[in-house]
Amino acid sequence: MFQIGHHTKLFSYARADVDTGLKMAEERQKEIERSAEEIVESFVKAAEDLPSEREMYYSQEEYNVVRPDGKPSSIDERAEFRKRFIKIMPAKDEDGNLRVEVAKWVK
Amino acid sequence: MNMMIGLEVHQQLTTERKMYCDCPTNYQNVPPNTNVCPICTGMPGSKPLSPNEKAVDAAMELALMLGCKVIVDKPTYIQRKHYDYPDLPSGYQRTSLPIAVDGELQGVRIREVHLEEDPGQYDPTVGSVDFNRSGVPLVEIVTEPDMHSPEDARKFLRQLIRVLEFTGKVRPEAGGAMRADVNISLEGGARVEVKNINSVKGAYKALKFEITRQNAKLERGEAVTRETRAYLESQMITTPMRAKEMEEDYRYIPDPDIFPLIIDYIKVQKIRERMVEPPHLREQRLVKQYGIQQAAANVIVSERKFADLFEEVAKEVDPKLAAMWFRTKLKKVLNYMKLGAADIKFTPKQLITLLQMIQHHRVTPEQGELVLRELVRKPADPKELVQRLGLERIEWEDLESAVKEAIRRNKKAVKDYLAGRKEALNFMAGKVMERTGGRADPREILKLLRAELLKKS
Amino acid sequence: MGEVTKAKRELLLNGELSPVENVRRALERISKLNSKINAFIEVNNGAVAQAEALERKLKRGKRAGKLAGLAIGIKSNINVNGLRATCASRTLEDYVAAYDAEVVRRVLAEDGIIVGMNNMDEFACGSSGETSAFGVTDNPTAPGRIPGGSSSGGGAAIAAGMCDLCLGTDTGGSIRNPASHCGVVGVKPTYGLVPRQGLIDLGMSLDQIGPIAPDVYGAALLLEVIAGKNLNESVMLDVLKASYIDKLDGVDIKGMKVGVSPQFTEITDSAVMNVIDKSIEALRDLGAKIVDVELPHIEEAMPAYYLIVSVEFFSATRKFDGRKYGKRIEDVCGDEVLRRILRGRYISQKEYRGKYYQRALQVRTIIRRELMAALKKVDVIVGPTVPKLPHKLGTKLAPMEMYAYDYLTIPANLAGICGGVVKAGEVDGIPIGLQVQGKVLGEEQVLRVMLAFEAVS
Repeated sequence: MFQIGHHTKLFSYARADVDTGLKMAEERQKEIERSAEEIVESFVKAAEDLPSEREMYYSQEEYNVVRPDGKPSSIDERAEFRKRFIKIMPAKDEDGNLRVEVAKWVK
Repeated sequence: MNMMIGLEVHQQLTTERKMYCDCPTNYQNVPPNTNVCPICTGMPGSKPLSPNEKAVDAAMELALMLGCKVIVDKPTYIQRKHYDYPDLPSGYQRTSLPIAVDGELQGVRIREVHLEEDPGQYDPTVGSVDFNRSGVPLVEIVTEPDMHSPEDARKFLRQLIRVLEFTGKVRPEAGGAMRADVNISLEGGARVEVKNINSVKGAYKALKFEITRQNAKLERGEAVTRETRAYLESQMITTPMRAKEMEEDYRYIPDPDIFPLIIDYIKVQKIRERMVEPPHLREQRLVKQYGIQQAAANVIVSERKFADLFEEVAKEVDPKLAAMWFRTKLKKVLNYMKLGAADIKFTPKQLITLLQMIQHHRVTPEQGELVLRELVRKPADPKELVQRLGLERIEWEDLESAVKEAIRRNKKAVKDYLAGRKEALNFMAGKVMERTGGRADPREILKLLRAELLKKS
Repeated sequence: MGEVTKAKRELLLNGELSPVENVRRALERISKLNSKINAFIEVNNGAVAQAEALERKLKRGKRAGKLAGLAIGIKSNINVNGLRATCASRTLEDYVAAYDAEVVRRVLAEDGIIVGMNNMDEFACGSSGETSAFGVTDNPTAPGRIPGGSSSGGGAAIAAGMCDLCLGTDTGGSIRNPASHCGVVGVKPTYGLVPRQGLIDLGMSLDQIGPIAPDVYGAALLLEVIAGKNLNESVMLDVLKASYIDKLDGVDIKGMKVGVSPQFTEITDSAVMNVIDKSIEALRDLGAKIVDVELPHIEEAMPAYYLIVSVEFFSATRKFDGRKYGKRIEDVCGDEVLRRILRGRYISQKEYRGKYYQRALQVRTIIRRELMAALKKVDVIVGPTVPKLPHKLGTKLAPMEMYAYDYLTIPANLAGICGGVVKAGEVDGIPIGLQVQGKVLGEEQVLRVMLAFEAVS
């Protein structure tokens, strides 16, 4: 019922413990999934006798808050952030591109 | 073979700022990751600014262009569409509920129009991401699967882009500002989606490839399963992208950080009034309003100023005549002189005067064309030009006497004609034209000659 | 009791205490106590230099900001440029904030000196202070017991005198809960009063940043600095500035209508309720009128909250994919964080949305309506903050037992109203906080009641 995702990487363990590590991780996830359900079931019960209502997505009812188009931010305003952004990238190239995985579907 | 093709076209809007932040939108000519801020890079804790108003208005205008009904007086939420991909900095894309529905263009139904933000640029072969483009406002147009061949799709897509670019509110497709996802299903097969298409040509090639691929499968007795594929431009093929049979669940929720929009009817009216009538709608209206031919209307709307001039003229001149002149002679003269409608220097009144003269047979069509050329080159009162060029239409008696004279002087030609040689008639007509200095309508000359010669036979 | 911050501020303003000296003392105290209490994950090495710069500025005759020279702790889920915003998680353990949150900008603009990043429950997912990846936090007032959470470090730091004021965050009680357990003052502002730009989300429609202080004056002072509309954010109330300090002089609550709900007694342990009942008597003695209000569905708020916050947290954590910064969250996070992500992922699926997420949002409407109705009859509602005493560190609690701490604080978050906590008394040396809840933008009334109570307790 619960799935983390097709490219889940569970805990990393030292090579010697990989099997036990993976098994523990699976068990852990199962346990977490199970315990996650409890409050959901508790909710369904609690809400059983309550009437239907409008859903409350926002604390206040406000619409059409928009921002006019206009002069964009200047390069000076952004220079500091760019430096820091590139600095904290786990992988980058010399032009400042972020380096990530190659797409699986590329031949 | 039966097939259904639908398109989802994304095109960038011409705003200066991004959709949810104030970064500049000119991502093409700057170093990577320069036009970025914590918001469009999805930094922890970043929150969107309110939506760009110009983008919202532009989406409405484009929807009206496509004959859609704008959703009014109902909240239009900006939603989070969650999926995992390297170019999506926050792990979700902000996309609005439909702004408008139920339009139509060239026989293809438009299902909906909504607002989105562009993700960053991901190079899937190298594995690099540049977020300069992330957050640029996009309009997405979704069609019904009303196209039934790659040619249909190409024709429609070209027309759609023409209409969108006409407004000046979208960036030109040529600059990479357009992306299309195509959906195709052949009879007997499931629907396949192809992404990663950036041009009209790409859409066409992708569809051609898919048809071949899917047909081959069906012929082999294999099933065509529902999937998402990517178009590889360099090889002109499609390749599997997601190996899932089920649809991806995007887990849409209204974005808690952005208040919903509610478009009111008055705003739609205001935009409609401000809107410039698009060529395809104007074309239809001209046909209907003036009773002119489709083909003529099509030429007339090719430039907005050309069409404006036509409608001005059609107020005082027979529209059908005007349409014929615009479509053929005026267009020809302009093309010959390599001018556009914007370069025209004569006044509408001057053109009206000329066309009225033609309409009332004061000058022949051929003479009119000469005057027109002069009018384009050096505008002046057409009546003056006619006199200056010596093109006053000849009086009937003078024509009659010229014809009779030509018959008298060219007895041999008369004999030949009566003996059955038709070309003798043209010879004599030529003589009459010489005699009248081109001031007579050749058709009139021939008519009169025939009538006179008939008397002789 | 209760004049600590005012006195400190006066000393700083009249020069008897220098900013550098104040900051040095705070850093010494942190250095001395943090290994035992673990209230700080990171100390700001530049704090003394910043205090020195402030002193120079003041010597030049510049106006002193409201927080001039005060040592401030910031919860680790708030971006402070140059310090790590770890959210007490391995996911972001190396994430050095690349920008200042808006509230931090405001604190710095008023000359507050940030001394460090407070410990917390991982990603604010907790009510005890035991789930940090950087170790548990101890309760300085009741050593060996939990300090509460998720702003565990903030509550403990104030209780131990490690700094003057702290900024915490409250989504389901995370400021008020540790304030109660540690015997200090905490305020959750009205939703939308304080900007969230730069706050790393737990639940976007629920989170608020608020003050933790040794006294009501200190909380009011810090709240004044951080409150007010941020133009660079969309979902905010239309309040440009807030002012509370001025309004608190000579405070008197005679005639104020104070609401009490019988449901509180039903939910709460008698040991805790005894202390609260005495506090209510004290308020009566101060001239307040005690009125019964019914909150029939208050218990249902808790499960509804956990469904909503799980969905929003799932959405908020999609950006932690390990590509741009930090690590992929599912790979390294603790149990409760993973629990909420999986739960959120599950119930936001298309086929379950109506049954779970949307239904929970409907219950939210009911809770809000009940609270608003009650608040129409009274100025504030008072009661216990937590239904039971804080457990001993290391006690194994099932998730549902942990969630049970939140019964009394969650309703204010669901409804978007404000709530503050002030120490009411003790049971066996364990602090118990009185919660005072107010209307939307009713902070003034809440602070008045808290201040009046503080003066006599």
